[in-house]
Amino acid sequence: MAKNFLQIDNVTFAASEKNKVNNVTLTIENEGDIVCLLGPSGIGKTTILRTIAGLEKIQSGTISLKNKIISSKKVHIEPEHRNISLAFQDNSLFPHYNVIQNIQFGADRNKKKKKTLTIDEVIEFLHLEHVKDKFPHQISSGEAQRAALARALLSKPDLLLLDEPLSNVDQSFKEEIQVKLKQILTDLKITTIIVTHDSYEAFYLGSKCGIILDSQLKQYDDPYNVYHFPNSIEVVNFLNRGILIPAKVTGENTLENDDLGTIKGNFIKRYPKGSDVQLLLQPEDLEHDDTSNLKLEVVDRKFRGTNFIYTLKTSSELLIPVFVHSHHIHQHEVDEKFGIKRPINIDHIVCF
Amino acid sequence: MGIKNINIWYISSLLISIIVAIPIFTVFSSFFETTGNYSSVVRDTFFYSYISNSLTLLIGVLVLTFIIGVSCAYLVSFYKFPGSNFFKWALILSFAVPAYIYAYSLTAFFENYGTAFTILKNLFGDGNYNSQIPKFDGMLGAIISISFSLFGYVYVLTRASFHYQSQNLIELGKNLGFSKKKSFLKIILPSARPAIVAGLSLVAMETLSDFGSVSFFGISTLTTGIYNAWISFDDLALANRLSFYLLIFILGLFVLENLSRKKAQYHSTSKGGFKSKTLTRLYGYKSVLALIFCFTVFFISFLFPVLQMLYWTIIFPKHLADLNLLELFFNTILLVFLSSIVLISLAFISNYGNRVSRSKFLEVLTTFSISGYAIPGIILAVAFITFISWFDNNVINFFGFSTIKSIFIGSIFGLVIVYFVRFYSLASNGIKSGYLKINYSIDESAYLLGYSKFKTFKNIHIPYLKNSMLLIGILIAIEVIKELPITLIMRPFNFETFATQAYIYASQDLLEAAAAPSLFLILIASFFILITSRYILKD
Repeated sequence: MAKNFLQIDNVTFAASEKNKVNNVTLTIENEGDIVCLLGPSGIGKTTILRTIAGLEKIQSGTISLKNKIISSKKVHIEPEHRNISLAFQDNSLFPHYNVIQNIQFGADRNKKKKKTLTIDEVIEFLHLEHVKDKFPHQISSGEAQRAALARALLSKPDLLLLDEPLSNVDQSFKEEIQVKLKQILTDLKITTIIVTHDSYEAFYLGSKCGIILDSQLKQYDDPYNVYHFPNSIEVVNFLNRGILIPAKVTGENTLENDDLGTIKGNFIKRYPKGSDVQLLLQPEDLEHDDTSNLKLEVVDRKFRGTNFIYTLKTSSELLIPVFVHSHHIHQHEVDEKFGIKRPINIDHIVCF
Repeated sequence: MGIKNINIWYISSLLISIIVAIPIFTVFSSFFETTGNYSSVVRDTFFYSYISNSLTLLIGVLVLTFIIGVSCAYLVSFYKFPGSNFFKWALILSFAVPAYIYAYSLTAFFENYGTAFTILKNLFGDGNYNSQIPKFDGMLGAIISISFSLFGYVYVLTRASFHYQSQNLIELGKNLGFSKKKSFLKIILPSARPAIVAGLSLVAMETLSDFGSVSFFGISTLTTGIYNAWISFDDLALANRLSFYLLIFILGLFVLENLSRKKAQYHSTSKGGFKSKTLTRLYGYKSVLALIFCFTVFFISFLFPVLQMLYWTIIFPKHLADLNLLELFFNTILLVFLSSIVLISLAFISNYGNRVSRSKFLEVLTTFSISGYAIPGIILAVAFITFISWFDNNVINFFGFSTIKSIFIGSIFGLVIVYFVRFYSLASNGIKSGYLKINYSIDESAYLLGYSKFKTFKNIHIPYLKNSMLLIGILIAIEVIKELPITLIMRPFNFETFATQAYIYASQDLLEAAAAPSLFLILIASFFILITSRYILKD
């Protein structure tokens, strides 16, 4: 019997032939852990949540919660008996009850459990005071989403499932809600799985992140590792965090690229000397240096508030992104030459 | 894969759909049974006149209801003239007057020495007016009676379509320099076509199943043929065979109507996209003409039969005194109450069963079973009796139990069952359209909040759909109050409603005695129509 809080063993999640995630094995070790699932739209993230909640059945594998099998080919505990709460992405408020009554439905569940969070507190933190007496059709989609989140939070579930919980929430208080949500989930030790397409949200909220691509759980690791040590080219492409450039391993800590010259750093994985590899070059790996003799042509410049992202073209037509702090003393225009500091040092080298 | 459980809800829904579908199966299966001698007589003599009369009646009614319904809908939807707001809802009062009562009024007014004669005599003194008063009997009388009692279907659906027609579309017509006439013919009418066809299909089905007015005017149609085969010649097999022909006819129309409805969905505007139309104010003779037209339709369809019945009720007080009003009222309301409760509860359970099980098979079966609304009441009654007789003879007898016929035939229980089959689609479609507004994630949220399927049904769905249920209940009430053939065939001995009482008097040529029950029937139906007019006009 599994000893983890949630154990998913070799389960294929399928809403349809197209919308399928195969042979998923995933664990949440401790009560109160927060896990985020990331992946492109339509890949089956929501199906995973619906299946864990008991709204879909499984044909193979097992799902256990608190050491009890809740789904397998033979066992299917009905959703109402699982004490798992799911906040849907779309408006799932009861249309004939106002916001406060909808939220009350959550509070009424597990009444006997110790009171840890009051309705007023949730309403305040989710900024719902002004709509609490309104009906679902009278409020915005963002407000409805927050009300559904409030209802789910108050139901004191063993496992909370959030499907894109903040996708419709205004940017102005999205960050504030993220902070408070994390605080509440951690303080109350509510084990949570969050599905999102926002990698920053996932990296912030999750103690672990799962990347779902090509009908598979490609990587399941803590956010730092997912970001810095992606385990496949698909994950690199999905996170859109850099580019892969050809290089040759020249020593224990060095590689050689035709355009950039020698690159030094610590390999995450050992490769024999002379191997041809694809090196992951992330925007923060290269440093700007006007005095350097390594000059690349600027083909684009994006202003991102705290920084600029320059896109530079090498002599072999590779396009390389480079971060530069936006307070940098001078800016380069398109077609100008841009110096790169040499030697290039990368803290950890990821190759494929 | 959804949750596909064969649970209590699935089984309930399945059983309900099967019960509703039984009469349809019965009619089809009895097609191959041997018929009596009377059938060869019918085949050689009346059969073609049944068909040709049914067709003539159908075409006449369709043309008339199209003209009246579309014209009224157009005038009140696009123009402002004295009384236009009043006519918007007043025109639907015609639903309160069943065709057979209209037929009584028509005859009462125009017959020799009838009301028209009395009016002329009072105005101009004695004279030979009978030869100058036009006679509306036979086929013409039936066409007029049925048209004025059914044009409401075309009016209501076309008006809704006009009402929700995009203002942008009309403005586009103006922008392209279209005249009013061209705009009407090229834009307004074509985009309302599905609604008009839907309305006409309903009219067609009701016309083909009409029994009261055609039998009153002595026209032999397929419906009266069925009644005669069964009542007069006791040839149930022939009645079923004629029913089969009629059913094929009606199913064709049903398919047409269904196709047309599907298309109609494309014309509905999305939420927030609806822009209220600016009505054109009519001045001068145009406003007078519009007023006269709408008033004439309102007068002929509603005021005329009401006044005629009121007049006779007043001048023949003896008949009113003879009438056991309280009993008729009680019986009518009892049937309304029982059928509404049974229909709404079972339609609700069946719809919820479909929703929970998400079974394709159940969906197909339900769709098939609700086609019962296309089947004339008279066929349903005959099919029900056929089925009960077969069941009694073959199953009950086989096990040696005592006969069950008296429980189902000539009893309120049996009557309510046949009403249930007849009006099931009304209840089921009403609840279904309510359910379409509830997203599945609402149910799933309830489950995830710990609500069982029953608690979700009780605490989430029933409160949400209570207004729909009330509306459906009232619509059922209007139909049950007016219903004639089923009540006539299935009712217990000596059990009369306003409808049957009026029919019995009329069939004995005691039209003046039929006036009071007819009047009360119209008044009760009008009351129900008025309290639901807001909903009827909305969609």
